[in-house]
Amino acid sequence: MREYRLDDEVDFLIIGTGAGGGTLAGKLAEHGFSVIALDAGLYFRPLEDFASDETEQEKLYWLDRRVCDGADPLQMGGKNSGKAVGGSMVHFAMVSLRFRPEWFKSRSLLGYGADWPLDWREMWHYYRQAELALSISGPVSYPWGPKRPRYPYRAHEVNSAGRLLAKGAEALGMQWTETPLATVSAPRGKSPPCVYRGFCRFGCSTNAKQSTLNTWIPRAIAAGAEIRDLAMAGRIEVNDAGRATGVRFHRNGAWHFQRARNVVVSGYAIETPRLLLNSATPRHPHGLANSSGLVGKYLMTQSNQAVFGRMDDEVRWYKGPPSLTITEHWNYQDNKDFFGGYCWMAQGPLPIEWAFIQTGARGLWGEALRRDMMNYNHQVGLKMVGEVLPDTRNHVTLDDERDQYGLRIPRITFSWGENDKILIDHAIGQMTLSMQAIGAREIFAQREDANHLAGTARMGFSPETSVVNADCRSWDIANLWVCDGSVFPTTGGVNPSLTIQAIALRTADRIKAMAQHGEL
Amino acid sequence: MRRQCVRQSPAPAVQVAGRLYRGSAMLATSVLLDSGVEHIRGGFYNPAMVTPVLTSLLTLASNLHGHVDRHGRRHGARHAVFALTVATGAAGTAFHIYNILKKPGGLRWQNLFYSGPLGAPSAITLSGLFGLLAERVRDTPADTMPRIFGINAGRVLSAVTALSLLGTSGEAGLLHFRGSFQNPAMYLPVTMPPAAAALMTGAALGKSRKSHWFTPLWLVLTGAMGIAGTGFHIYGVSRAMGGWRNWRQTMFDGPPIPAPPSFTGIALAGLAALALLRAHPEDGEATWA
Ligand SMILES: Cc1cc2nc3c(=O)[nH]c(=O)nc-3n(C[C@H](O)[C@H](O)[C@H](O)COP(=O)(O)OP(=O)(O)OC[C@H]3O[C@@H](n4cnc5c(N)ncnc54)[C@H](O)[C@@H]3O)c2cc1C
Ligand code: SF4
Repeated sequence: MREYRLDDEVDFLIIGTGAGGGTLAGKLAEHGFSVIALDAGLYFRPLEDFASDETEQEKLYWLDRRVCDGADPLQMGGKNSGKAVGGSMVHFAMVSLRFRPEWFKSRSLLGYGADWPLDWREMWHYYRQAELALSISGPVSYPWGPKRPRYPYRAHEVNSAGRLLAKGAEALGMQWTETPLATVSAPRGKSPPCVYRGFCRFGCSTNAKQSTLNTWIPRAIAAGAEIRDLAMAGRIEVNDAGRATGVRFHRNGAWHFQRARNVVVSGYAIETPRLLLNSATPRHPHGLANSSGLVGKYLMTQSNQAVFGRMDDEVRWYKGPPSLTITEHWNYQDNKDFFGGYCWMAQGPLPIEWAFIQTGARGLWGEALRRDMMNYNHQVGLKMVGEVLPDTRNHVTLDDERDQYGLRIPRITFSWGENDKILIDHAIGQMTLSMQAIGAREIFAQREDANHLAGTARMGFSPETSVVNADCRSWDIANLWVCDGSVFPTTGGVNPSLTIQAIALRTADRIKAMAQHGEL
Repeated sequence: MRRQCVRQSPAPAVQVAGRLYRGSAMLATSVLLDSGVEHIRGGFYNPAMVTPVLTSLLTLASNLHGHVDRHGRRHGARHAVFALTVATGAAGTAFHIYNILKKPGGLRWQNLFYSGPLGAPSAITLSGLFGLLAERVRDTPADTMPRIFGINAGRVLSAVTALSLLGTSGEAGLLHFRGSFQNPAMYLPVTMPPAAAALMTGAALGKSRKSHWFTPLWLVLTGAMGIAGTGFHIYGVSRAMGGWRNWRQTMFDGPPIPAPPSFTGIALAGLAALALLRAHPEDGEATWA
């Protein structure tokens, strides 16, 4: 791997190597730019460093202190933020879905949220690139939305939990399909095919899973980029001319300064606004790129409620990736009394996670918990991914408390909105019907759960109403960019990572074009 | 003006039958190992899963017996075994189709990819069918043209071979599609056998006397590809997690090593068909090789 010196002024210094930063690093390096990508986390090697052990793999999570408040404080950590080269995708659930095209214009077409400054047809092109890069295994034809090309790899064999989703969906007259997943169903390069052991959300020690870590990062390195792990960015420096000059970062027990011509923030929806806010100067008293006051605003998560039940037959839902089948029925149905959409997928929580659900959602404890855990192999469930509407009351600000680096920690304020609650109730009702249709017994709902994050540095059409433009370039500082899940104006009813990658790929192409026209 | 070059022992029809036995045996071996592995993997969940193993063993024994048997007549027990094999294969296919249809989604790619394969029991049928045909062919008096349902046996056999090649190629195509043709060699079994099938259709319908050098050559190549396929599948197993060190898992989950030689078995039957056609030109002289 190429290594730069601190006083080398690289073309792009990217903070964060997840779905946004990692992808962008790969593509920018391939476009011929000099690139350094920092990550606060470690550069893991799946075959050597990953254990099939739920507790050991907590090393992948961002567990630094954060303050969470609001009416429904978010639970931070493994569910929504990673700290590793490759970002949250190292332990993501591999579900790789495209947005419904109308969501890019949800304000004008569907009457809620905000429009994106992006065109869905252009995104369709970049989705394809991302799917090819990750060799997504998906169904031969996808039942919803405009026609898309065939997935590069075939769908995986559906496990019994996935088949039970299918049975339920068929009983309700809904379509279902195999979930497009970022784990290979046949060999690819150094990745062997998936062995269906179900540790996907704890890092895949087989290396079958395709994440930023084993796709874009190696491509970035091959194209000459430097990946600097264990490097925590604390502050972006800006000069008097109003341009970013580089980044202060903490590594090996000391602070350093790396020079750069362009700085890209890709730390995801909490760390991105935090860094921008923490980089305030007298000229930018409210933080960088924040003339709109929107940095940290419109924090979104996705509703992740579930319905569980028990079958008489063995299910063994832990076998294989957890979400092998999906129905996007309610993402494409507009005949409903709430805004936004949702999908649901088959489930396969591992034992510790299941114990948490049992204690949390059902309040089981002691002997009752022990007895119920014995039914683990008969358990079945459906979990939604639902759209949460953007709301200014949900936001990331800075708390006065400081972390191990002496940086102010983020305060994360979140409450479900009225529309969110109606959507969740609707989904729980529908999932319950599906569970009843397959003859599940002792059905119960897990009402409190949320997962993916988005928002906090939204893209838009004007400096007053957004933080960055369609190219992820900040309106205020021409050489400061944000490229990750925080640029989402709305979050849609599907998991976000493929959209984040598509945005990063588009941004890289736009940067190349702008460089050619002398517009950087 | 017939017959100067015959009258060696064994009789030519028996020789042709010999080739058919070899083809049938090859198929039976492929089925025996393949279904053995697959059904061990399935833990013989359904007792019917031992049937293909037993049948292919019996077929194999009958083939061996037929091969060493120099009499120019059919043998009752062998004939019965082959007929039973055909029936078992057909039942297996029906059973696998039933299994697919009863899964959620019915006839969809997911179920075609991951249910009991349709092609495997058909291979059993074929091995039985080749055995039956061998019995028919050898049962012909030395000087007459072997016929099946009144038609030149060489033509019938050519047609059967063509169909078998197409079917087996379809099966390989389905499974290689499932594997996303991730290795370019995976295209061979979906291109070479259909070409061979076209040539064999030509042989079945064309002038019996017209001697093609290309058809047998292509059959030999297709047969060789079957053997090479085993090599590729051995390599394929090495690419699964743990490779051959982890063979107890990877051999079951990887590409089936014994499957590709079924092409070789069919190619052998095809060669037998061509030999029959050469030996019994309908409109002229016999030219036993
Ligand atoms: C358990 C789980 C399951 C998921 N499942 C799915 C799924 O199935 N499908 C899907 O589409 N999405 C899924 N997601 C969401 C998806 O992983 C994220 O949306 C996506 O990775 C976000 O990309 P990002 O680039 O914005 O941020 P991340 O991928 O989180 O990357 C941010 C990176 O920046 C680094 N960083 C942050 N701040 C700093 C700093 N100051 N200095 C240095 N480095 C910094 C972090 O260490 C991290 O590596 C899942 C997420 C989780 C946690
Ligand atoms: S189930 Fe597949 S993708 Fe998930 S951890 Fe195991 S091998 Fe990796």
